[in-house]
Amino acid sequence: MADIENILHNEDDLNNEQLIKYLEGKLSEEERHAIEKQMAASSFTNDAIEGLQSIANKKDINLYVDELNRQLHQYTHKHQKKKSKRAIKHLDWIILSIIIVILLCVLGYYVINLHKQNKQPDKTEIKR
Amino acid sequence: MNHDKFAHISDNELLERFYTGHNNEWLGILLQRYTLMLLGTCMKYLKNTDEAKDAVQQVFLKTITELHKYKVDYFKSWLYMIARNHCLMLLRDKNIHIPVEENTYLEDHTTDKAELMEKDYTLTIMEASIEELSTEQKTCVTLFYLQKRSYNEIVETTGYTLMQVKSHIQNGKRNLKLLVEKKMKNN
Repeated sequence: MADIENILHNEDDLNNEQLIKYLEGKLSEEERHAIEKQMAASSFTNDAIEGLQSIANKKDINLYVDELNRQLHQYTHKHQKKKSKRAIKHLDWIILSIIIVILLCVLGYYVINLHKQNKQPDKTEIKR
Repeated sequence: MNHDKFAHISDNELLERFYTGHNNEWLGILLQRYTLMLLGTCMKYLKNTDEAKDAVQQVFLKTITELHKYKVDYFKSWLYMIARNHCLMLLRDKNIHIPVEENTYLEDHTTDKAELMEKDYTLTIMEASIEELSTEQKTCVTLFYLQKRSYNEIVETTGYTLMQVKSHIQNGKRNLKLLVEKKMKNN
């Protein structure tokens, strides 16, 4: 009876390994039916399997997928590297600004001190 | 990142993690789950491995760019829409004729899979509705869903082609859904 309800229930989560085995005809009757039920429930799964079936040498599929995943890895990491580089650049400017402010303070202190020292001999001369 | 150790994390959770920190590596793990299906989908429309591989790369880039701009709730359906529309656009640019049933750009809407199951369908309505399907659809739906026969077995039993079997199952399922919905409304 539950089978009747299953007609309108859309299966989900297709395992890539199972999919490859389905393409290679290495699945049991039950497993094959489970995949075909997912095909009937999802256009994505149906299109994907029909497309993969058109690739003559099934062993090439894994090579193509590995190649695409390597490319994907580059895309996601390149964007991330750019982001962190930008963050480092921001940090550089903050540190540089702090150093300049400290240098200005030190310089100011010396100038004021020098000015004070230059003024002191004048006062003793006046006292005499 | 070692992707196998994230196998227990659902698509939705990976997407949430990406949206929280906008770290593309989460997106990489998520997209990698669909590389095979994207390759198959692009192959179905473009019928050329090199073009299909290029198209998958374009879909990756588009996904990375678009997901930074707005929030997607149903990633799998959305990704399929992006891939299919990209392939149809490529075919149109090349002035290649596309069959009518495949010639519709998908819109970004979620599938109604959960909604249907949430409703409490009575089995009697379902059984009665199956009887109202056309003979071909009734035969294919019954063999496929109730007798759990594979596509090839149905082809052998009925004498229909594989395309016809798939079509009768798809259309039968859609009509069944409409019939049940209509009956539920009337009740």
